[in-house]
Amino acid sequence: MGMLDKAEILRRMCPVIFLLDASGSMAGAPMGAVNAAMEGILPELISMNNDNPDVEIEIAVLTFHSGTDWVTGSSLVNPENYVWKDLDARGVTSMGAAFKELEKVLSVSHGFVNRASGSVAPVIFLLTDGEPTDNYQDGLQALRDNNWYKCAAKVAVGYGQSNDAVLREFTGNPETVLHTNDPKDLTNLIRFVTITSSMVASRGAAAPVNDADAAADPNDTTNAVAAALKTAPPVLSNSTDPDEEW
Amino acid sequence: MPQNSRLRRSQEINLLDGRSITVIDKLGEGGQGTVYRVCLNDTMEDRALKWYFIEKVRNPHAFYNNLKDNIEKGAPSSAFVWPEELTEWVDGTFGYIMRIFPGQYKDFSKYLMARVKFGSYGAMVNAALNIVSAFKALHNKGYNYQDLNDGNFSIEPRMGDVLICDNDNIMGHGQSSGILGKARYMAPEVVRGDIAPNRQTDRFSLGVILFMLLVGDHPLEGAKTNVPALINKYDKKFFGTEPLFIFDENDNSNMPVQGLHKNAISFWPCIPKFMQKAFSKSFSQESLLKGAGRLQEQEWLHLLVQLKSSIAKCPRCGSEMFIESNGETMCPDCKSLIKPVGYLKFAKRRSNIEISVPIFEGIRLYEYHMNDGSEDYQTEAAVVLAKPGKFGLQNCSRHLWTVTAVDGRTSTRQQGDVAILGLGFKIDFGNGNTAEIVPN
Repeated sequence: MGMLDKAEILRRMCPVIFLLDASGSMAGAPMGAVNAAMEGILPELISMNNDNPDVEIEIAVLTFHSGTDWVTGSSLVNPENYVWKDLDARGVTSMGAAFKELEKVLSVSHGFVNRASGSVAPVIFLLTDGEPTDNYQDGLQALRDNNWYKCAAKVAVGYGQSNDAVLREFTGNPETVLHTNDPKDLTNLIRFVTITSSMVASRGAAAPVNDADAAADPNDTTNAVAAALKTAPPVLSNSTDPDEEW
Repeated sequence: MPQNSRLRRSQEINLLDGRSITVIDKLGEGGQGTVYRVCLNDTMEDRALKWYFIEKVRNPHAFYNNLKDNIEKGAPSSAFVWPEELTEWVDGTFGYIMRIFPGQYKDFSKYLMARVKFGSYGAMVNAALNIVSAFKALHNKGYNYQDLNDGNFSIEPRMGDVLICDNDNIMGHGQSSGILGKARYMAPEVVRGDIAPNRQTDRFSLGVILFMLLVGDHPLEGAKTNVPALINKYDKKFFGTEPLFIFDENDNSNMPVQGLHKNAISFWPCIPKFMQKAFSKSFSQESLLKGAGRLQEQEWLHLLVQLKSSIAKCPRCGSEMFIESNGETMCPDCKSLIKPVGYLKFAKRRSNIEISVPIFEGIRLYEYHMNDGSEDYQTEAAVVLAKPGKFGLQNCSRHLWTVTAVDGRTSTRQQGDVAILGLGFKIDFGNGNTAEIVPN
């Protein structure tokens, strides 16, 4: 094969990190909707990776309940190599602990974002149906000092009784927080928000144009996602119920 | 939500020229619109329809008029999947039809990701030649592509035929507020914000594409650009203000990294020196920082025909490899260094490039070599044959050759005949185009 047998070109990485509320109140239909959404998102991310020679998406999933769990393990995983394992709901809503846990891995030297060829701005997706039962402020403050968090595309979905004010604090942009009260809608909404933001982030954020050393506006990616969420064309619902409410 | 961006199956739409089309189904979706399969109602032929999300189009009326102009001027060459006809405006948006390209064409990105591989060296070099010819035609017609990148090509892997897609956006480029996405393909002066894209900056992008096609890695990505960090903020430095070729002759600080830039490390020693020189010139500091020394399409064409006439089989392991007229090249499989016994040196330079062909079994010459006015790199005109103790050149063309020995004796060779390649012999290929046999 000689020169025809080329290796895959080196790609940058786009981390897509899911923070999912798995507290007791999510039990039943909402958790089912999350599981269905996550399972359906994986093939879409794989297909995005197959079409993008510049950037490759890798994912991590952190659940928070009475504690926190990295269900995808201790590093980012390629969606192609991951089989979704259904989550169960239990315990309280340790969102603050999740923020601290996230802050720990948003690091090159001792965290997840260690690809040699570099990473583009990550996507961080937060889902909750309630409000933090622990002190989330400390965790959020730690995140705000983290450069990866600063430049990340931060998006959130609130469900039911969620405290969306906290979600807005998390994303820093009210336009990237979406809400639904309908578990059937939840699957679509998670999919819509995460796929749209992954698409924006994996295309790479704007490079600074003024000064070589000037950092781009850290909100660029989140703002770009906000714009995309507004203009993204609707997709066909994956509903199987012809009587589903509009 | 932009409801008007969606078309229904069986919906009929009028074209500007009075014909009409019927929507069949959806083929795909991009950032700017949806592509549908449609049927021309008069001839029942299939076409693709690109239908815009109008809110994603800057200044839609100017965009529409630019497309209309381009349709009137016509495609620069058949490689371009050019807009064929516009539709009328429907609910505030519009589209255009183009031919549907066959499924055996694969996106260039699939080659970069090693999902698709070329069938032969000939196909790989043909693809490079076809890309260069297409851009030569484009530039000669007065267009610039402006945002040449890996997403614009589809290539057929067996023959190397090329289709160039996304020909509707020419006007849109250069108007965006910041630098987005494809910084790796933009000329450094565009990344730096010094100038707007033009023909010269297209030529830089063309060099990047050719390097990636042949060598398989990015010419500016090596040790220096390997930063395990948020990478976007370095783009301007790596691709704008401090770009450095991975094989820069004077500065090795951006050398490819073992285990990461595998293709560059494996295959750079396998391409002939004249190609290495062309890439070194294209990505020299002069080119990267001052825009000087970029190769014109014409120059790439001569070099790539020469590369096509360098393809032979390794005498040790039988793998395809490139052979260089007067130097050694490495077989990518068995790593043998191979040097031919000599070469045919053509009397006339073309675009000031010396033309030569190595004497090595299986090397092919093309119509291009028979006539210095020809750019036909597809029609085979001669092949080097080997017998124990001697080489011959078989005439596969319709030209009558005249072979002159050192002592002045001459002989003619017509189609099917074989000319012995003797030391110091000259061959006149019939158009005043002569080559001399030079030993190594």
